[in-house]
Amino acid sequence: MRGRAGRRKAAAWLLVLPSLLLALAVLLYPFWEILRLSVSDVSRFGQVRGFVGLANFARVFADPVFRAALLRTLVWTGAVVGGTVLVSAGVALVLRQDFVGRGLARVLVMLPWSISLSMAAIVWLWAFDGDHGMVNTTLRTLGLLHGNVQWMARPATAFPVEIGAGILVSVPFTTTILLGGLSSIPGEIYEAASIDGATRLQSFRHLTLPLLRGFVNIAIVLNVIYVFNSFPIIWVMTQGGPDNGTHILVTYLYEVAFRLGRPGPAAAVSLVMLAIVFAATLLYVRLQRERA
Amino acid sequence: MTVRRLIGRSLLSWAALSPLLLLVLFPFAVMLSTALKPIDEVLAWPPRWLPQRLAWRNFADMWTAADFGTAALNSLGISIAATLLALAVAVPAAYAVARLDLPGRDLYRQFLLVTQMLSPVLLVLGLFRMAASVPFGGGTLVDTRTGVVLIYAAFNIAFAVWMLASYFATIPRDLEEAAWIDGCTRAGAVLRIFLPLAAPAIAVTAIVTFVAAWNEFTVALTLLRDPAKLTLTLRVVNLVAGRYSVQWNQVMAATLLATLPVAVIFTLLQRYLVQGLTLGAVK
Repeated sequence: MRGRAGRRKAAAWLLVLPSLLLALAVLLYPFWEILRLSVSDVSRFGQVRGFVGLANFARVFADPVFRAALLRTLVWTGAVVGGTVLVSAGVALVLRQDFVGRGLARVLVMLPWSISLSMAAIVWLWAFDGDHGMVNTTLRTLGLLHGNVQWMARPATAFPVEIGAGILVSVPFTTTILLGGLSSIPGEIYEAASIDGATRLQSFRHLTLPLLRGFVNIAIVLNVIYVFNSFPIIWVMTQGGPDNGTHILVTYLYEVAFRLGRPGPAAAVSLVMLAIVFAATLLYVRLQRERA
Repeated sequence: MTVRRLIGRSLLSWAALSPLLLLVLFPFAVMLSTALKPIDEVLAWPPRWLPQRLAWRNFADMWTAADFGTAALNSLGISIAATLLALAVAVPAAYAVARLDLPGRDLYRQFLLVTQMLSPVLLVLGLFRMAASVPFGGGTLVDTRTGVVLIYAAFNIAFAVWMLASYFATIPRDLEEAAWIDGCTRAGAVLRIFLPLAAPAIAVTAIVTFVAAWNEFTVALTLLRDPAKLTLTLRVVNLVAGRYSVQWNQVMAATLLATLPVAVIFTLLQRYLVQGLTLGAVK
């Protein structure tokens, strides 16, 4: 009997094994490499020349571009996630109600999900073109603008444009999670509340918001991780420029690793980012536990 | 509910959504408008939405300039191969997680969660070095579509197993058990009873994986060099990146053509996707 149960367990692991091996091979080895490079002197062409302790980290933290990118990553993540959750919460509340054409509205809201980030970035780059872009044209038609704004020529305008694009592409996923949350609230409790004389505003504040909180937390943490790692929008629109003024950590990492050819410091940046993501993951696990 | 209230609510709802919907549709309008203009109209002052002359040849010009056919075939091949590989390892794993006595199930799930949190871009340097260290066909995995496929599949496993396992758990066991009683082997019951019932979930997972691979940028940018191997996303970005003068009408024709098929598939299947994702992501 024991032998049979043992064989069953072994069979279960046999089914899991291929997925485990593939994931481990493609994740663990690169992770190990990054760990090794981060404490090594590495040539431009990837030759490991010796152990240097934390010198790569010191070099990275001494770079003003890195420090600016770290700070900007906070702004980027905060602004995109904050904007996304606010917009998505509103959209989810509207989409939950029954109204004429709701199916169409849902399809349209979800549309940006299907477009690759790099394609969306290209289209917005062109739309915000200073001389021929339709954004300037539209704003002029509406009388909001007189001359032309060269949006992408200065970080002060380029970065907010990138944040806006970031929010727009994150709304569909977040709306989906929040809609899932809203649909898990049974309709009867609203009926009960209204029988007890609660106004709609009251039931929103005291029923919808608290019940939705867990889902909002999950949406925030998942978005923090996605947005923190989001590379294509900024890379395609400004490549971290002009004058390094729109770098976030991922674009800085890519530039240091592949443009400037400094694998050691780039590995150090990767590890700093992994530590941040790991902290966010722990937070996510805790939030999940709280819900369960 | 009275008709008047429904109409009022509908107007309010559409009004509330309209700013977002305008922003969602704006890029599509820009794509369509520019893709159909000849270059002198693209550069004309002031810019207009509607083309005076329709320049359908933008699509033909773009097709040669970007080698669109080759790039589309590369994207298609890479995405299909990555999807099949991801499913081949994820379906059995999800079955074990949902149905079998799997010691260390929680550990495995947590491992998946961690891999889900790691985006390829964080590991990009290590991924490149890994590809460079694996001998493949006379060279290494760098600049091969196989390398890209392996990485795409690996990064989609977590999502696929999660989503499939949460669907599998909703399929009643009785049907399989009834088949055993009728003399079917366990494997036979899985093949004849379980998999057909699980087909919708597998299809949804396949589509999500396919779209993710089709749209991916960072790994392809890092690994692929040879123009004949570039994916569609890379090709289109290369029409813009680092160029002194950009043929925007061709670029928009390319983005439109690259985007539309996926947008259509996505829209048709959206309802199932949303159901599946809410199950997978939240439950």
